[in-house]
Amino acid sequence: MGEILIALIKVVFIWVWVLLCAVVMTWVERRGAAMIQDRPGPNRAGPFGLLQPLADGIKLFTKEDIVPAKAKKILFMLGPLLFSFPAFSTFAVVPFGDKFVIDGKEILLQVSNVNIGFLYIVALGSMAVYGIILGGWASNNKYSILGGLRSTAQLVSYEVPWGLALLAIALVYGTFSLRDIALAQSGTFLGVLPNWGVFKQPLGFILFMVAAYAEANRVPFDLPEAESEIVSGYHTEYGSMRLGLYLFGEYVNIVTLSSLITTFYFGAWHLPYIDMSAFLGPISYGIASFIVFFLKVAFFLWLFVWVRWTVPRFRYDQVMTLGWRELIPLGLFNIFVTALVIQLTA
Amino acid sequence: MAKPEVQKNYSLKDSIYLVELLKGLVLTWKHFIFNIGASFRKGPHTIPTTWQYPEDRRPISPIFRGEHMMMLDETGRELCVGCGMCAKVCPAKCITVDNSKVPEGQEDRYAGKTYSKNFNIDLLRCIFCGFCEEACPKGAIVLGQGYELAAYTHEGCQLGKDRLLENYKKAKASGTLKPALKPVPVAGAAQKAEATSAVPEGASKAKPEVTKKVLKKAEKKAGEGE
Amino acid sequence: MHNSELSESFDEMTSGHSTGDYVKINIGPSHPAMHGTLRVVALTDGESIVSADPEIGYLHRGVEKLGENLNYTQFIPVTDRLNYCSAICNNVSYEMAVEKLMGIEVPEKAQLVRIIMMELARIADHEVLVGILGVDLGAFTPFFYLIIQREEIYEIFEWYNGARLTNTFGRIGGLVADLPSDFETRWQKLRDGIRNANDETDKLLTHNRIWTDRTIGVAAFSPKDALDWGFTGPCLRACGVKRDLRKDEPYSLYSRFDFDVPVGKHGDVFDRYMIRMEEMEESIKIIDQAFKMYKEMPADAPLIAKVPKTIKPPAGDVYHAIEAPNGELGFFIRSDGSDKPYRLKIRPPCYMVYQAFGEMVKGEMIADMIACLSSLNVIAGELDR
Repeated sequence: MGEILIALIKVVFIWVWVLLCAVVMTWVERRGAAMIQDRPGPNRAGPFGLLQPLADGIKLFTKEDIVPAKAKKILFMLGPLLFSFPAFSTFAVVPFGDKFVIDGKEILLQVSNVNIGFLYIVALGSMAVYGIILGGWASNNKYSILGGLRSTAQLVSYEVPWGLALLAIALVYGTFSLRDIALAQSGTFLGVLPNWGVFKQPLGFILFMVAAYAEANRVPFDLPEAESEIVSGYHTEYGSMRLGLYLFGEYVNIVTLSSLITTFYFGAWHLPYIDMSAFLGPISYGIASFIVFFLKVAFFLWLFVWVRWTVPRFRYDQVMTLGWRELIPLGLFNIFVTALVIQLTA
Repeated sequence: MAKPEVQKNYSLKDSIYLVELLKGLVLTWKHFIFNIGASFRKGPHTIPTTWQYPEDRRPISPIFRGEHMMMLDETGRELCVGCGMCAKVCPAKCITVDNSKVPEGQEDRYAGKTYSKNFNIDLLRCIFCGFCEEACPKGAIVLGQGYELAAYTHEGCQLGKDRLLENYKKAKASGTLKPALKPVPVAGAAQKAEATSAVPEGASKAKPEVTKKVLKKAEKKAGEGE
Repeated sequence: MHNSELSESFDEMTSGHSTGDYVKINIGPSHPAMHGTLRVVALTDGESIVSADPEIGYLHRGVEKLGENLNYTQFIPVTDRLNYCSAICNNVSYEMAVEKLMGIEVPEKAQLVRIIMMELARIADHEVLVGILGVDLGAFTPFFYLIIQREEIYEIFEWYNGARLTNTFGRIGGLVADLPSDFETRWQKLRDGIRNANDETDKLLTHNRIWTDRTIGVAAFSPKDALDWGFTGPCLRACGVKRDLRKDEPYSLYSRFDFDVPVGKHGDVFDRYMIRMEEMEESIKIIDQAFKMYKEMPADAPLIAKVPKTIKPPAGDVYHAIEAPNGELGFFIRSDGSDKPYRLKIRPPCYMVYQAFGEMVKGEMIADMIACLSSLNVIAGELDR
């Protein structure tokens, strides 16, 4: 009973937390973009415009829900759900902190510590494409179809370098469990550097980052919704909260991807050179690890925004070229080198 | 129609994306930091390039061509004689003027011998070119600084005499009356005096022949009316 | 329309049956990247364009016919609405045509002020183009850096004669206002701002691999084709043909200024972008020189030629073209001696460029088509008239 209750609390907590992050992200995106572009951005709703996401939500909820004529109604409705669901679900295996110790009982800050966390992530990551292709196809709009097709090709292509980068990580740490990988990143590496994935897998990190941007459909890989080319891509025909789910799902996706980057490459909840558990109590350590983790995540969230407002957009065939001709060979090379080094040092 | 082939030659620095990306990131970061700093300043106009309308407004040029007004002279008499020059010169044909002789006993209200009985500017047609202002021999019609012209009804977009005079009073109260247009120097000094009449002048010089003509017309009209 | 009828026509629109294996896509007239109201009917094979058929006329307002019904002065505000990004160039082009017809000699000081204002308008136009090109290719930020500077240019216009966009600049025979007294300080601040914004845009875009991939070699056009299609202006110069009316057929006082004409190589999107960036710098040079000459003029130098009150040019034809930001902007006027033109014809640079659009984007991708359209700077107000 107690186990189930704890699991339930964890699920609800992380769900609400991720939602909150995504909501704040919509605000950060708009204000951050504004600040980069020499303008104030939304600053009227609440202090610093912080209530803007709420206002947006109210607006989207109260708008008329339109299903276009000749749209496939059920699939049309299913699209946004299928898009946002995997983004949330991925968080089930992400360790968002170390652990609490209460009455000698360890409570891991992770919904479920499965030993094949990798497979789960990759599987769910591919699921999101269904939401996009269904939305694009069911809308009965050529721009939507184009957006859906672009997105499918892109997501399928970038699964590969993504998976290759993950494989190299698995080679380094010898495990598929996200928590074990996180735990293995404490201490130092070669005496000076923090024992983080990014120092062991610099090339893998770049590959993973690029693939993550592509997976999240963010600039420079935002061609599925390239506004100036195909209007809004797969969500051209969507309105009201269905559109909201798509937009929101994107931010949840970003939060998830940032968490994964932090977990794999930036030492999860570990601070460099400092062992927090040595001088913090069991409960404060749990909280501290959670905070450290999300500070790192926050940096990558900001990076998503920052890059978006700096670079132009790729063209469809260039994305494919980059994926298949450059990233995948690099990924294979990375695995080869990693395996070689492991073999030689073992 | 063969398209020219273009060879792309990238140096290694350009070809790996990241160097230029980092340069760009540094640049946007500088802007970001500057604007974050600016947004913590006091007052509504914090980020230098954005005006927080409506509480924070940008300065308007003193010769801005906005909502029209009808000028009065120093003693508060209407300058307009209803000659209809503005209506004639208007490219959008948005001005309608009806003139009439000044009734007995109302000479203190009107500066001329005739006045505009009805004067209407259709803001829906007006293109704010300022030609009426230049054409007016009396300097009676002037484009002011008002630019908030939204209205709910068709009537709301009609500038009648009452609104034109009100605009003048408002502008006078806020001290935003347009400085009198200076005639620009004209080529050929000998014919200078003659040629300046082509370009607008201030309200000072009245042109007798115009007034006479208009007076005649007004009389004729009045006669027909009877 | 009956419901089934509606859905039938809808089928026709959406299905690819009538077009073989290709899909017909209607881009515009209401589309985020169709500047104004352009429309392109494209036949696509996946993302590649098999054929593109530009369609015009959605912003047709009968400007030429309007010209026949307005007198010579009254037409000046209408020319504002041709290329609304650089209204002053249109005004001056028209005024110079009428002056040529009437044989009016415009005072030198007025010509200098005209040149200063025209070059400012050119900078404003190019800034909009580069910014929008960035937006269409997904780089949003440079647009804001550039548009802030354009705003400053508009500020100068506003202080000059009270309007920002539709300036109604000058009159036939000269000007009705002198430069504002604070022009020099404004201009010095503005010059630094423009250079800074261009520099930042350059840093963000020019060497970025994503940008170069998207622009180099895209919609390239050979010089011969460009000349055959009647290209002028930056689009022609991007193809490698050095033709600039300011140099080749100097009008006004342009022969007195020292400036370069930047020329591209391939006529692709990148060259058009670079040419515009360089032309802004050249315009800055011209304004500096023109303002220096302006300052040497006596304060009471004439600004307007002696013109009759009602403008009645002698019967005859005239064609006068200037180098507008988009290319050769010409006005043909046939006068029958009355106070209204008998016929007025405008030669907008966009019209010739947009004709070749279908040829230019054939075989490219949809995304390239958008980039190409942006780089041509087709302005519907001028195109449809």
